[in-house]
Amino acid sequence: MKVYVNDREVSLVTGMTVKHALISAGLIDEIEKGKKVYDEMGNEIGLGGALIEGVKIFVK
Amino acid sequence: MFQAKRIKHFLIVCFFLLLCACGLISCATQHEIRIIQMNDFHGFAVPYKPYGSDEAQGGLAYLAARVEELRAEKPTLFLAAGDMIQGNNWANLFQGKSSIEAMNAMGFDAMVVGNHEFDFGQAILRERIREANFPVLGANVVGLSELKPYIVKNLDGISIAVIGVVTDDTPVTTHPKNVIGLEFLSVEDTVRKYTKDLKGKSNIVVVLSHLGLSGDTDLAKKIDGIDVIIGGHSHAKVAKPALVSKSVVTQAFEHGKALGILDLTVKNGKIVGTSGCLETIKPTGKENTTVGGIVAKYQQKVDAVMNETVGEALADLDGVHVRLQETNLGNLITDAMRKTAGSDVAIINGGTIRTSIKQGPVKVSDVYAVVPFDNYIVAIKLSGQQIRDTLEHGVSAVEDEEGRFPQVSGLIFTYDRNSPKAARIKEVFVGGQPLVTDKEYTVATNDFLAAGGDGYKAFGDSVKSSKDYAVIGGAMKGEKLVYSDSGRWLRDVVIDHVKTQKTLSPKVEGRIKELK
Repeated sequence: MKVYVNDREVSLVTGMTVKHALISAGLIDEIEKGKKVYDEMGNEIGLGGALIEGVKIFVK
Repeated sequence: MFQAKRIKHFLIVCFFLLLCACGLISCATQHEIRIIQMNDFHGFAVPYKPYGSDEAQGGLAYLAARVEELRAEKPTLFLAAGDMIQGNNWANLFQGKSSIEAMNAMGFDAMVVGNHEFDFGQAILRERIREANFPVLGANVVGLSELKPYIVKNLDGISIAVIGVVTDDTPVTTHPKNVIGLEFLSVEDTVRKYTKDLKGKSNIVVVLSHLGLSGDTDLAKKIDGIDVIIGGHSHAKVAKPALVSKSVVTQAFEHGKALGILDLTVKNGKIVGTSGCLETIKPTGKENTTVGGIVAKYQQKVDAVMNETVGEALADLDGVHVRLQETNLGNLITDAMRKTAGSDVAIINGGTIRTSIKQGPVKVSDVYAVVPFDNYIVAIKLSGQQIRDTLEHGVSAVEDEEGRFPQVSGLIFTYDRNSPKAARIKEVFVGGQPLVTDKEYTVATNDFLAAGGDGYKAFGDSVKSSKDYAVIGGAMKGEKLVYSDSGRWLRDVVIDHVKTQKTLSPKVEGRIKELK
């Protein structure tokens, strides 16, 4: 499954979540610093949130 | 006699006219009704500080108190959009029984199964459904007769159909054994069928979904006749419900940290107005004492389980030197992983192991302290070269004792820290045979490393090159992925391993040899 974190492509095993996408993109530590994750519609999403093929998420 | 008959006939006619009038008045009158939503609770009953936050959030007893207040204001449906019984220790240690007991006390009207509801297996799920005082829905699941496709509830004279659907990816997001014999039908086809069937039989159609917000949005665009989609799965914090085509779509974050509230104004049997919001739940203010009692009761049981002795260590189990060398505790954990996944090899980063276990009785809390993170086992096919590259990465910062240093099972390797990085690994043997560069091996690891954590790239590269996989004949088949069980934490795998072994005497066997 390919997903995009801040427009960077990462490959994950199907079933992996937002947390894994951030680990893969090297951005998980940003959450500890207070940043949050958002979907394409601007909704905040939790680290356990499910992902689908091609989805774009953003850390900001 | 004749007059008595006429009076009787007149009264019967009056009675039916009254009934019809009541019905007409009910439809013509404006109704204010409410839907309250919770999703992806995952057993987080006790308030907690989420990663990156200093503030405690959630708390099921506080959420329940707010639900009571909201319900008192207008006729209300209280719905759960899946993933309620698995996740946190508070739920997992009781295979979700605690969640259902609390949900019964909270008076849920219905729940849809989420993919994680299958994580304890079908027998347990059946037991949980039997315990529930509310219907559990799953219209697109074939083979589990306890699930209902939909319900129709009457609120203030308005009939509301609630159709439940779960992601058809479920077979690849739980262990295949949990879904043997079940079929997950197309969500779109299922919802289309039931909205058609229910047309004219209810005033409002609600889809209670565990598809994720993207899936809900697609559904709303493709299918006419859905008034509201109450969703879960993507843990989205939808501050204000969105109108997609003619459907109101919403979702209420995760872990009981928010409550979704959707108010509907209904006139002539149709929705003429909607307003909604999310309310953040914090552990302050009013608490529902009944639910608070259930939360506390199971939390005490969690504490009791933590004190249970599961085995005996005949020697100290070393969790201190895992970033520097082979340790007996690293061997024990990777052996358990390799056995569980049925793989050739297991490799984890030493940083997964957080502490040691002293010689003597081993309690559940000891194991939880050693592997405290919510990690699960994943097994992926790697080439011999990728295994070598993985080990090279593992020893590349041994002088700094970084968490990437590997602990292994099923293989033996030698390394020289004085050689240049990426050329430190010397001999590698798998199953007693020299590693073959272009041969594929199955390698168990944890989800953290599989996602590229601690700089491990080979697993991600392998997944990237893999074609999509599918469940065939109840087993997960794929080009590169051979095992993934996100419903069972590594710590619980280790506990089961310790229980089976009873006495623990793992040794340092020379799996990792430093050339000096």
